[in-house]
Amino acid sequence: MKEFDVVVIGGGPGGYAAGIRAAQLGLSVALVEREALGGTCLNWGCIPTKSLLHSAELYTQMCSASDFGIEAKSVGFDLSKIVQKSRQAADQLSQGIAQLMKKNKIEVFTGDASVVSVGQVQVGDQVLVTDSIVIATGAEQKSLGPIAIDGQQIWGAREAMTPTALPARLLIVGAGAIGVEFASFYRALGSAVTLLEVAPNILPAEDIDISALAAEALSQRGINVQVGQGLEGLASVAGCVEATIAGETLEFDAAILSVGVAGRVQGLGLEALGVTMNQGFVVVDERQQTSVPGIYAIGDVAGAPCLAHKATHEAMIAAETIAGHFVQGLQRDRIPGCTYSFPQIASIGLREQDAGDRALRIGRFPLYANGKAVVSGHTEGMIKTIFDSKTGALLGAHLIGDSVTELIQGFTVAIGLETTEHELLETIFPHPTVSEAMQESVMLAFDRPLHL
Amino acid sequence: MPREIYLVKVGMTMTEGMVSEWFIADGAAVKKGEMLYSLETEKVNLDVDAEMDGIVKHTAEAGVMLAPGDVVGYIFAADEEVPADFSGVASPAVAVVDAPKSEVPAAAVSAAPEPIVAETIDGRLKSSPAARRLAGELGVTLVGLVGSGPGGRIVEADVSEASLQSSGTAMTQAISGQTQEALVKASPLARRLAAERGIDLSRIQGSGPQGRIVQGDLDQAPSSRLSATPAQVGPLAGSSVPVRGMRKTIAQRMHQSLQTSAQLSMDMTAQMDDAVRLRGQLLKEWDGEARPSYTDLVIKAVAKALGQHPMMNSRFDDTEITLLREIHMGLAVSVPEGLLVPVIRNVHELDLKEIAQESARLATAARNGTLGLDDYAGGTFTISALGMFGVNSFTPIINQPQTGILGVNQLFDGLTWDGDKPIKTKQMNLSLTWDHRAVDGAPAAEFLASVVEFLSEPYRLLL
Repeated sequence: MKEFDVVVIGGGPGGYAAGIRAAQLGLSVALVEREALGGTCLNWGCIPTKSLLHSAELYTQMCSASDFGIEAKSVGFDLSKIVQKSRQAADQLSQGIAQLMKKNKIEVFTGDASVVSVGQVQVGDQVLVTDSIVIATGAEQKSLGPIAIDGQQIWGAREAMTPTALPARLLIVGAGAIGVEFASFYRALGSAVTLLEVAPNILPAEDIDISALAAEALSQRGINVQVGQGLEGLASVAGCVEATIAGETLEFDAAILSVGVAGRVQGLGLEALGVTMNQGFVVVDERQQTSVPGIYAIGDVAGAPCLAHKATHEAMIAAETIAGHFVQGLQRDRIPGCTYSFPQIASIGLREQDAGDRALRIGRFPLYANGKAVVSGHTEGMIKTIFDSKTGALLGAHLIGDSVTELIQGFTVAIGLETTEHELLETIFPHPTVSEAMQESVMLAFDRPLHL
Repeated sequence: MPREIYLVKVGMTMTEGMVSEWFIADGAAVKKGEMLYSLETEKVNLDVDAEMDGIVKHTAEAGVMLAPGDVVGYIFAADEEVPADFSGVASPAVAVVDAPKSEVPAAAVSAAPEPIVAETIDGRLKSSPAARRLAGELGVTLVGLVGSGPGGRIVEADVSEASLQSSGTAMTQAISGQTQEALVKASPLARRLAAERGIDLSRIQGSGPQGRIVQGDLDQAPSSRLSATPAQVGPLAGSSVPVRGMRKTIAQRMHQSLQTSAQLSMDMTAQMDDAVRLRGQLLKEWDGEARPSYTDLVIKAVAKALGQHPMMNSRFDDTEITLLREIHMGLAVSVPEGLLVPVIRNVHELDLKEIAQESARLATAARNGTLGLDDYAGGTFTISALGMFGVNSFTPIINQPQTGILGVNQLFDGLTWDGDKPIKTKQMNLSLTWDHRAVDGAPAAEFLASVVEFLSEPYRLLL
């Protein structure tokens, strides 16, 4: 029986961050992970998919290199090496987390954890005694009614990011961030991709303008985008899958299910302790405390949005709370989101469709009017900013275009500081950068654009 | 990443504290283990040392009250580049109401080794338009100010700093409302809304990081523009003293003590002729070793009396009264910021000379701010002396969770009667406050009588 101040269950970007912060605050920490440190994000999510997408982007660029006067003959790719590269990145970063655990004197236990009682966590035949338990077990993919991932022709995210062969005809069910990223990857390598979304728009979590522009951009790249369309049936048949869509049966070489996730709580024993749940997620208060004192939950298991940076931020809140510090709770309207599709999408804050009758000022600045975008040939896209027309407060920013995921933090800081248009107009944006388009969008919202 | 320097938490009860002095200047190098800053709380002054080698950047100024765990600065490792304009995760709290105590002339404030006085040969001052405007608003004279701009040019920051440093609390009145609000931490949106709604930001408690005022904080704020009645014209408040630090602690403890126990006081007069004589002899006898005060005699007398009346050396809670075996005597010491109560530990085991030495050490340490945490802990009874101010009787308030406190009054010329003949004698009143929940009037009087008896027959104090 070992004693710790904090036991963290789950070693993803929520769990390991909670462990490190708690250790920095002088607490003794144990971390339980049943698979690999880094969690879904690092091993089976954000990181390896970014590697795959980077390879695909490089391939696309090589193919159009002649536009820039570069001659690249017989450009090709090796899918197994693309996958191998992504696994290397995941492994390297996972080992890095192990080092961080060691550096911060966090004891890592490998195995399935269950919360035996408040203050007691069982891992294998060991019992860890603790004051505070942080549940950071993440989420797992939902299946679609009776249709289950079989790993053969019907893929989940894991299968989709470790393909052994390129499916010539690929069906992607669900056009959220994950579905759209896989669509971009496989289309770039040459698959015929059908992207199916039951909602009226792809990327239903994004602003309507962004969803529409994204659908257009994906269509232009040859992706068959079907919105407002459910899947009526899906079955593996002798090396391929048959999908029934709008009464028609279509044949594909593979199908990817990306229809959302649910909290991973099975086997933890939380229900028995009376921890309140809601639709498969653990309910927490603004200090990440569950309904049972001494048990905290962070990240995907504590509810949407299922994003690594939200998990990491909640980890800080939980660790500081456990250490007796007072910190601000999570501000849900200030969590940015990034989708690494071609083109990329990044957003934060209010969407236009949610504004109701609130009076807004909106700037929509197209990237074709930005010098740097023209130079690099990435003129597709737009930067949309939304302001309260009465107060001038920046309420939301929605970006689509090349590398916009690296731009969104500017607006994230701005919204975090409660800036108004005044500060953004007073700020000097460097030239020539795509970031100038951020300020142009603000100018446009206030009827004073320079380059449009 | 630079390593944070935290405001260290000492003791479970610490709720706020400040860097009273930076030993390592902003931007200077520090070695691990070197003294970094001096922590001041309501109880202690403590020197905090560096956890690593590196370059120190301050984010909190000395003298700004913060919560334990707040970041006061950073240490950059040798291989890390220190950004020129680094101001940490968030800039230090600017608290307008916490007017600096010192009245340091502005020229002395600048940390620059060789201050450039912003006066050219022809006598013209170099200053920015913004600095001149602010100086006009604040009534600050530019002559003599040290400019931090290029070539010693006085910039806006120099003026606001000079204004802060020069006039203490008068500053609060001198600064116009608008400028004062500029010193409050608030988001741009909150500022804009406050201006529109006529809200005084300096009266609002911010809920953002480090008390930053954000939009939501304005929702309940009263708007001066909307109120129909003119502002109350009461007696002019000359200046305000912020209730914080030691003052806040004393306020809380004293109020809580009166609210939670059943306190009452009684006086008794001790004949002090023999005590005066004894003290005179001891001063000679212990010359250079110890200087016993009347309070020291009282301490010894109380220690002995507590041995005979253990109920006065007890701790009351609702289910039981704990009689404490050891006697640790708290000694109220007045310091400029308020009041400290260091403790003479195991006073019943000390002889009078040792008591005199220990009480002198504690009083000096209290006034120099060098008391350690152990010097405060575990008092079981307290003595408070106001005799030096000519006080003859008072009702001290119990230092919770103790059961009694004895007030020591002045020595005065009184009368006793030898038959019909009045005789002039040295006398002293002792004012006992005790907790009636633990001890009734009669036993309390017996205890006080014992103290008086020991003082009247002081040679017993040497036994």
